[in-house]
Amino acid sequence: MNEKKLQKPTLSYQLKRDWIRNRSLYILVIPVLLFYILFHYKPMYGAIIAFKDYTPALGVKDSPWIGLDNFIRFFKSVYFGRLIKNTILLSVYSLIFGFPAPIILALLLNEVRNKRFKNLTQTITYLPHFISLIVVTGMLTDFSMTSGLFNDIIEFFGGQRSPLLQNPNLYRTMYVASGIWQQVGWGSIIYLSALAGVDQQLYEAASIDGAGKWKQLLNVTLPGIAPTIIIMLIMRVGQLMSMGYEKTILLYNPSTYDTADIISSYIYRVGLLEQDWSYSTAVGLFNSVINFCLLILTNKISKKFSETSLW
Amino acid sequence: MKKRNLAWMMAIAMAAVSAAGCSGPGGSTTTETTKAATSETTAAAGETAPAAPAEFSYPMAAGEKLQYWCELTTTVSANFSNLGDTPFGQGWQKNTGAEIEFLHPPTGQMKEQFSLILADGNLPDLMEYNWTVDYPGGPEKAIKDGVIIPLNDVFAQYCPNITQYLAENPEIDRMIKTDEGHYYVFPFIRGDENLMNTIGLMVRQDWLEELNMEVPTTMDEWHEVLTAFKNEKGCTAPYSFEYTNGQYLGADPFVAAYGVNRSFYLGSDNKVHFGATEPGFKEYLTTMNQWYSEGLIDPDLATLKSDQISAKITNGQAGASMGQAGSRMGTWTTAARSTTPEFKLVPAPVPTLEKGGQAEMGYIENPFSGRASVAITTSCKDIERAARLMDWAYGEEGHMYFNFGIEGESYTMVDNYPTYTEQILNNPDGLPVSQAMSAYIRGNYNGPFVQDIRYLEQYYTMEEQRLTPGVWGQCNGAAHTMPPITPTSDESKEFSTIMNEINTYRDEMILKFIFGTESVDNFDTYVKNIENMGLERALEIQNAALERYNSR
Repeated sequence: MNEKKLQKPTLSYQLKRDWIRNRSLYILVIPVLLFYILFHYKPMYGAIIAFKDYTPALGVKDSPWIGLDNFIRFFKSVYFGRLIKNTILLSVYSLIFGFPAPIILALLLNEVRNKRFKNLTQTITYLPHFISLIVVTGMLTDFSMTSGLFNDIIEFFGGQRSPLLQNPNLYRTMYVASGIWQQVGWGSIIYLSALAGVDQQLYEAASIDGAGKWKQLLNVTLPGIAPTIIIMLIMRVGQLMSMGYEKTILLYNPSTYDTADIISSYIYRVGLLEQDWSYSTAVGLFNSVINFCLLILTNKISKKFSETSLW
Repeated sequence: MKKRNLAWMMAIAMAAVSAAGCSGPGGSTTTETTKAATSETTAAAGETAPAAPAEFSYPMAAGEKLQYWCELTTTVSANFSNLGDTPFGQGWQKNTGAEIEFLHPPTGQMKEQFSLILADGNLPDLMEYNWTVDYPGGPEKAIKDGVIIPLNDVFAQYCPNITQYLAENPEIDRMIKTDEGHYYVFPFIRGDENLMNTIGLMVRQDWLEELNMEVPTTMDEWHEVLTAFKNEKGCTAPYSFEYTNGQYLGADPFVAAYGVNRSFYLGSDNKVHFGATEPGFKEYLTTMNQWYSEGLIDPDLATLKSDQISAKITNGQAGASMGQAGSRMGTWTTAARSTTPEFKLVPAPVPTLEKGGQAEMGYIENPFSGRASVAITTSCKDIERAARLMDWAYGEEGHMYFNFGIEGESYTMVDNYPTYTEQILNNPDGLPVSQAMSAYIRGNYNGPFVQDIRYLEQYYTMEEQRLTPGVWGQCNGAAHTMPPITPTSDESKEFSTIMNEINTYRDEMILKFIFGTESVDNFDTYVKNIENMGLERALEIQNAALERYNSR
């Protein structure tokens, strides 16, 4: 009898006990699990068409295997280098300029003492987030025309009118800047809430020690929200290569393909417009694998240099 | 007890919120579209139709509802969300006795939704699509893939009208078959030559008169006219057209002036040529580059959409454009005259290089382009019913119905000529003619029937519109239009892989040449690059397909 008591309870017993104790929590999590299984894991099965010559009539299972042909075709394509370069550059620029922007905004807002001004600024900076992408790109296109608003401004400062969206050298600037404009306010929310969580006593202690505003920012505020920043950064890097096609196909035209065409817009053209499903899946899969590696890599690095990591 | 209920409600609410939060914009649209595609395709099989009586007559006896998938053209979707809601759709069902459930892809997303429906596998009974060009692998592949059924037996058994039509028009008969001799669609056919050259150049006649100039016919004259528009009339974009519209690019008369084409055309040697690498194309690019740098072409060329062109034409920023006589020339003229009563656009012929010559190339469509043609899918349970429904349009009664609508309501016979009523031409609810027509007929856009020229004669209400067929038809373009050839399914994959790369590169380079970011001197490098992408192989495939076509 005594021996039995010392033994670890069996797994099924543990589960049973846990189930009885936390039943409602388990039930709560079921829909979420189902969602991920149905919409995120089950569709992965379809990714095998990257290795097949897929025809809808034969279906995923019965289409013939063709090995790595689709991948080889992509690596051999004349556009391979350019697509990779454009995708990386656009997302790296978005990261470098787009990632700190909401942090800076949040820090600035945090220092504002006038409550009404603070709320007003916050609201105004959020608003663009709620404008549909179609509308935003439509506005950009109109403003960039030779007769558009941007050119009015350029001319006012003595510049020459020119069609801005037909200039491949300006494309990345437009893409990144409009992205920041649209998302900076929304992105700052999470940092503002992190800022609210920083212990006020620390500030008091710092100011007693003679730290000015700047020193407080460096030594209290930033360390206080560092975990949030790092988690956000890891998540952001994990999405580095997964740039949506929507904004690109709305903004680009053949004259800016040079800098604008990215992997996802290429997939869109080939996969949905040319209906080359297998090939576009292969390209997409390749993209996801790179993403996956990037995510693991950043997490490793972050684990090494700080305490924070995703797992 | 109460507490527990509350907990349950919370659980459900949270699940809903988390599910909504996790699905990105991409995710939700896909599921919605697939749902739309699938939910309609579960109609029960129903009992098999009774054996066909020896004497068949419309309307058919009641039977299974047919699903009919087609794009809803903009002139319909302006007033109706479903073709079945239009007087046309209701009358079609009444006259044939077939109950139809119309399914439409979102506007402008026909190809995307077509892909999704195919991938899903639940096909509507009838699908209106460009099966000739837009099914990957071509129509024969669509049959082999088990997506659609060959129609030879169906035509012979159930379709006396189209069989008769094809017997009377052997040239069309050849066009709508595959190389293997399979019929695969109920085709959209333009029933008159004048219905095939509907896109061309147009220029402000009132300005020409003011400036003492003639309608330009050569490239040099065009240069003079556009320069005058720029200098005398203050145009910021003397020549502006919808560059982003692929159809217009293929029809560009300025390319034709140099005896080439942007893509494939039939040469005088009866071989397929790729125009964008030929010497004539270099000359075209040189001219366009010159015009662009002189400010004669709209500087925003690559991003222009139709509404921006409309604005520029009607407010006098542009003085010449390209487009259809109805939706462009007519619409612009009507809109502009409210502020500029003397506004007048007239058609200009395909320009030539020498004065007094006649252009060799030009945009003339085939009577059968593949567009808006209906195939019966393998999911169709009652093939006879579907076939009878489609065949009706090729008979006398159906022909009148598709082109003119309901007698006494949308048209009346005046001296044996079907004349549209006031309901159409002067709609009491203030609808434009194109929208009023689209409610009653399909004659003014497309569909599975033979289009009648008598529609166009009445649709063109302005004198200058009626001039267009004659002016735009002044070329030998028909001899150079590619017939509807079909590569074999193996070749087709190779062909599209090659052409995919070539077309992307071509589109990109053409704009660079025109904008001057790339010097036209580098044209030879551009040609080399295209050749390296496999142009020769693509031409080989096209020529082989042409040979098979010729021996059909």
